[in-house]
Amino acid sequence: MKKIRNWMLAIAALLIGGSASAQYRPPLSIDANWSISQPLGSLKDYADKTSLRGWGAGVQYMLNGQLAVGLRSGYQDFYERVPRAVYHDPTQGDVSAVQTRTLQVVPIQATVSYTFLKQDQPVLPYAMVGVGAAHFKYEKYWGEFVESDKSWQFLVSPEIGINIPFGKASPLMFNVNARYNYAPYKLGEITSFNTIQGNIGLKLHLN
Amino acid sequence: MKRTLFLLSAVAFVVAMVATGCRKDPLNDMSDEESRIYITNHDSTANFSSYTTFSIVDSVVVLSNRNDSAKKELTDYDQKLIASVSAAMQQRGYTLVNKAAKPDLAINLTRIDNTFSAISWNPGWWGGYWDPGYWGFPGGGWYWPSYYTVYRVNERQVAIDLFDLKNAQNKQLKSVWNALWRGTGVWNSNNIDNMVKTSFDQSPYLKK
Repeated sequence: MKKIRNWMLAIAALLIGGSASAQYRPPLSIDANWSISQPLGSLKDYADKTSLRGWGAGVQYMLNGQLAVGLRSGYQDFYERVPRAVYHDPTQGDVSAVQTRTLQVVPIQATVSYTFLKQDQPVLPYAMVGVGAAHFKYEKYWGEFVESDKSWQFLVSPEIGINIPFGKASPLMFNVNARYNYAPYKLGEITSFNTIQGNIGLKLHLN
Repeated sequence: MKRTLFLLSAVAFVVAMVATGCRKDPLNDMSDEESRIYITNHDSTANFSSYTTFSIVDSVVVLSNRNDSAKKELTDYDQKLIASVSAAMQQRGYTLVNKAAKPDLAINLTRIDNTFSAISWNPGWWGGYWDPGYWGFPGGGWYWPSYYTVYRVNERQVAIDLFDLKNAQNKQLKSVWNALWRGTGVWNSNNIDNMVKTSFDQSPYLKK
């Protein structure tokens, strides 16, 4: 509890310090988002539920008022339970099972972003692209028996979004964005990894 | 004041993120019924309508990897299993006869208790615990066509094996159908009828 209060005080100090001294934001920022992902294509066939279990976090550094580079990671958990059905397998025979299909994705990406307006505007639209890799943890449960796989794959993620500062020169901004994720990930019925991801969160410029 | 609210909402947001960032555990809300899988294999060259009669063992072999020797048992579970499989076969048009009456098909039943450790087995390993002499083929052997494969086992299972006595060649009894039950509660007698039904439902070719 004490820790949280100290942390809040530290951020408050940053906010006050930031707004008092600088017209423009410091170049270094951190961000955290809640992520909602909708699987597409063959991934939707595997697990078609929209995933609310996701988050992302990153750091960015502004090279000038509009161009920034960064690094980010995150997490998303896909899940679907399919009612009992019979699956024919040429080597195993006919298997009647309730399948629980899961996929957990942890991306690590370098980002480049471009903000279309100057930093003193109340709403800052931007475009971004993230390039890197993702760790895929695949677990398909046949009843209580699991078939699993872990692998890394290339991941590219174009994104558009807006930042809304809480006050004209505030270092704290509200962020909302839409992102498309693609990885040439192949396993079982998944022929590629495609998702549309909505993110909502906060971005804080640090002194 | 405004900033305090922003900060509070930021903290709430981080807490919410941590809470939703956890994985949904697949086994957490899984019922016993959902945990079970039923695997069936069959000989695609077998003409199931060519058989008329069948007979079934009078007890169930229980295999345990904690013992070297298999034993035969006839518990309430085993009696119910014998009755349920017999009824399912009769529904499919086959006639139950005594094994002395030279049935076309033989049914072996095996319970497998392999909870001690995980060992991988060869297809049909459990079938060998029944003596072909029981079915009137002393000195004979079981024959498992190459399409049979078996999951790695490390729990309790139940196997139903259907052998062709009609076309036995050189005392080789060929397995024409097999069902293997795995998961929680396969040794619970309340589940027998449902497990038998599911196994037969997914094997529509198995009929007179």
